Amino acid sequence: MSDKDDTETPVITETTPVLNDGNCEPGKNPESADQSAKPKNKPELVISTRRRPEVKCASDLETPEVQEPVSKDVTQSGWGYWGSWGKSLLSSASATVATVGQGISNVIEKAETSLGIPSPSEISSEVKFVAEETNTRDKENSLAGPFGVFSTISTAVQSTGKSVIAGGLDALEFIGKKTMDVIAEGDPGFKRTKGLMNRNSTLSQVLREAKEKEELWTANEVTMETDKNTHYGLLFDEFQGLSHLEALEMLSQESEIKVKSVLNSLSGEELETLKLELEQLKEAFSLAEFCDEEEEEQKGDEDFTKEITELFSQLHVSSKPEKVARARNTAYEWIKAMALAEKKEGEKELEGENTEKVSKNSVEAIHAFAIRSLAELTACSIELFHKTAALVLHGQKQDVTALQRSQTLSQVTVVLCKELSSLSKEFTTSLTTAGVKEKADALNPLITAVFLEASNSASYIQDAFQLLLPVLEISLIENRTESPTHEQQVLKPLSEH
Amino acid sequence: MATAPYNYSYIFKYIIIGDMGVGKSCLLHQFTEKKFMADCPHTIGVEFGTRIIEVSGQKIKLQIWDTAGQERFRAVTRSYYRGAAGALMVYDITRRSTYNHLSSWLTDARNLTNPNTVIILIGNKADLDAQRDVTYEEAKQFAEENGLLFLEASAKTGENVEDAFLEAAKKIYQNIQDGSLDLNAAESGVQHKPSAPQGGRLTSEPQPQREGCGC
Repeated sequence: MSDKDDTETPVITETTPVLNDGNCEPGKNPESADQSAKPKNKPELVISTRRRPEVKCASDLETPEVQEPVSKDVTQSGWGYWGSWGKSLLSSASATVATVGQGISNVIEKAETSLGIPSPSEISSEVKFVAEETNTRDKENSLAGPFGVFSTISTAVQSTGKSVIAGGLDALEFIGKKTMDVIAEGDPGFKRTKGLMNRNSTLSQVLREAKEKEELWTANEVTMETDKNTHYGLLFDEFQGLSHLEALEMLSQESEIKVKSVLNSLSGEELETLKLELEQLKEAFSLAEFCDEEEEEQKGDEDFTKEITELFSQLHVSSKPEKVARARNTAYEWIKAMALAEKKEGEKELEGENTEKVSKNSVEAIHAFAIRSLAELTACSIELFHKTAALVLHGQKQDVTALQRSQTLSQVTVVLCKELSSLSKEFTTSLTTAGVKEKADALNPLITAVFLEASNSASYIQDAFQLLLPVLEISLIENRTESPTHEQQVLKPLSEH
Repeated sequence: MATAPYNYSYIFKYIIIGDMGVGKSCLLHQFTEKKFMADCPHTIGVEFGTRIIEVSGQKIKLQIWDTAGQERFRAVTRSYYRGAAGALMVYDITRRSTYNHLSSWLTDARNLTNPNTVIILIGNKADLDAQRDVTYEEAKQFAEENGLLFLEASAKTGENVEDAFLEAAKKIYQNIQDGSLDLNAAESGVQHKPSAPQGGRLTSEPQPQREGCGC
């Protein structure tokens, strides 16, 4: 456990200067004391490979200046997430430039012109470079963990010393922040999500609070039906994502306690062997990266379903990813139907003029449906992880090892996140096409909102995946313990705690 | 109209527990969908349902955790009890064994929730009176001895289903009113939402955590 932390901590400290480099310097105030204390705390807090330290202490909450830590956390957590996401977003952008020419690059350009940051071609060419650089580095540097992609990007930045790339990253960060401001206007609760992510609450708490804010907001404002439809948090909760996440957290915490108590009860060689095995397991949990973006290209509709179903069959649990597949396929069918309608619209347009209103409607409809789909897909994914945890824990005899399961689940995570990424691309392309006539400042917030929520979704899924680690650890321990009576002795008191 | 689903002042967490096949999921389904689900698959881990009810003019959102009854999930489902404000402990009036296991369920419920958690005993399948294996009286007595609310209900006909959830909610609400349930206590199972918020100030400071604060 501690080895891992040692390797992670430098990553955190390393990145901080890069991040604060830009426009988010929290300022020098009493907070700086808090800041300097942070790295010291970290190793203890970053249990396993989780990103959000689960500090149970209230010290953070007592700080009188609240605004500052929030913005600082925005930078850090924002980057943790945008780091992994940003890469896939931008590298796919560079791929799209070549092929579609009107897809993502257009989107980014639109977003950028309004934000006043470097041109997309600049960024994408730089990113191509970063991506290549990163790919080579990935091989040497696979200890990454959740910070993986980010750390490799940042090393690429450092080793090449190309300020252009740093500029590109700044731009991305800027997009991220701008996006959050933009989103905050329409999606007030979620502004806090980012800010709180690294604080001392669990993910479900953060999301719950955000959702509550949204509820207040919607209850208060004289909102239109459509407006409510675009609140990710509310929708995520409606699909029971929040509940499943909370349940998964409970299983995870319980397992974590059990693992600790088992480790405490062992000593000597026995302890070392177990630690070694657990270390392997942990490694499987840090491999979820997004490197083979290029080969991804447009896959057929059935491929996702097939891929995820196959992966699940390897898990040997009785849960099936039907719900996820259904949610995903519904989304794609909708997009297809939309594109078709759009095309017809375009043909009509040549004759008549009265299309402006229609296009506006469809842009809003696409946006609403995009947010809904992302929320649903994410909720289903988390439900799937929760069910998997429950099934892994119920302790039936297994013919797969915990390690194999971890590796499969890691692949599942990658597949799900990729799917979110390509789904969001579909949606934004669809938005761009439908909104050709729209003003940039009307269309851009919608596009950024889709990207942001997709990025959030991917983070939630990755976080949920990390929650499975203790579950598989205890499963590993229980499976290797030959005499079940011994194990019972160790575990019984805790399960009733 | 559109905003109605989000207008409530409390959230109560409920758990439904009891042996496999006593009809936990069906009770939930009847309560949330007002329908009887004839072929209910075994629950894996836990499933969820929500509904907003009204107690003394207050809108309360029930967040219901419907746990798996299968013995092999017992260790897993124990994890879900934490922070429940109410527990529906269900047995099947036509199967004595499900009644006999109640003490074990009750032990779990008592040990794994907080002392204020309201527990209601529900004898399900009341429509199958001809096959009755547990009398109303003995169950009533068991409930009284253990300080539980008690109802016989039928997920099939819907009889008393509404009341089962409502009675527990009333009791919880009463506990809040007379101060015996401290909303600020960790894992009270109740969340209170300020009813008259001033929209707009959303960037204000984070609220202190309600749950899971270990210090």
